[in-house]
Amino acid sequence: MNDVARLRLLRSAATSAPVDDLSAALVAAGRGDERAFGALYDLTVRTVFGIVRRVVRDPAMAEEITQEVYVELWKLAPRYDADKGSASGWIATIAHRRAVDRVRSEQSRRDREVADGRRAVPDFDIVSETVGDDLERERVRHALGLLSETQREAVTLAYYGGHTYREVAALLDVAEGTVKTRIRDGMIKMRDQLGVTP
Amino acid sequence: MTTDLHHLAAAYALDALDGAERRAFEAHYPSCEICAADVDGYRAVTGSLAAAVAEEPSADLRSRVMNEVAVTRQLSPLSARSSGNDAAFMDRRRRVVASLAAVAAVIAFLVVGNAFLASGSGTDFDDILAAPDAVVTALDGETGSIRVVWSAERDQVAVFANGLADPGAGLLYELWFLLDEGVSPAGLFQPDSDGVVRTVLDVDDLSGTGWGVTIEPEGGSDQPTSAVVYVGVL
Repeated sequence: MNDVARLRLLRSAATSAPVDDLSAALVAAGRGDERAFGALYDLTVRTVFGIVRRVVRDPAMAEEITQEVYVELWKLAPRYDADKGSASGWIATIAHRRAVDRVRSEQSRRDREVADGRRAVPDFDIVSETVGDDLERERVRHALGLLSETQREAVTLAYYGGHTYREVAALLDVAEGTVKTRIRDGMIKMRDQLGVTP
Repeated sequence: MTTDLHHLAAAYALDALDGAERRAFEAHYPSCEICAADVDGYRAVTGSLAAAVAEEPSADLRSRVMNEVAVTRQLSPLSARSSGNDAAFMDRRRRVVASLAAVAAVIAFLVVGNAFLASGSGTDFDDILAAPDAVVTALDGETGSIRVVWSAERDQVAVFANGLADPGAGLLYELWFLLDEGVSPAGLFQPDSDGVVRTVLDVDDLSGTGWGVTIEPEGGSDQPTSAVVYVGVL
């Protein structure tokens, strides 16, 4: 196992020291350190590419967006404020946001759904199909397993499907308010289960 | 009018709000302790959701990224916005272009519409528009459109709107200056029976990041008491 792989595993197993590495890499990158940015890339690219590809589905488009995400991260790095949240959370947020903005701004949504054959409700196993980050995957799998089926469906359609809650409501043919409630209740349970203190 | 902006934190963290709601929530949550804490907590969840589907991209992506990074200038660390609002931030360039187009549109409008601006406030409008530092912001919302022309030099804004809905009996529109932290009231306005607004407001000397509009009880409020109905980023 190379150092990068070991770091990744460490990062998923423990939440303290390696995260600091990432945070430190981001701060150094913010001062124009390209090597530090390369290290940041190595630590995070699987998560970034994974979530982007999950949303847009097309691997070539996912790589293009992933590249845009990193260029954006490079530009924004001088403004990263470690006090405002974890570096990994910040990076995942930027990646997911960019992916959903792309699918919403383009016709690609239609193409994507045609490619899927039919309306795709991501099932629970969505998380187990992938290579994934073993430990993180297990934690998330477990946490998702504690949600009611309707909560899980709403959360995964929104996040992995890249849908707005209104779209989720239309897909499931339930009221928008119901979907909002399912999303909120599901996310609260996930947050409590994953031991995240706000 | 909805008051459940607080309940949108989870959907926001999942990027499950549409454009207008996302902007409204972004205008709201940095100044709301509960929502800001909720967003932080939910973002840790979405970070885990993302990590759980980690996947290896092709090996040559790294060199493509590093090559582009090598020729890309970083942004100044001095940001008008907090680092959390990066996506909104990246939108700004596009909005500046839109604002320039809006300036042209407003000027064209003024030339045509000068006749009915003549009564009283016309001069103020012209002065604000002619101010060298005038900044035009288009605000997005449900119905109609609002443009805010701001001159920091004069500490005044001109509010232009067409097709604005009647806010309801005993209610009016309140303009807010969006700051890095929180908001500052910037004045009240009311559409006429045709939904038209041509109002000049005196504003505080602040450096803000955008404008928001809420519907408030007559007399206005010190802090927004309802959902943001129009919002625009400077």
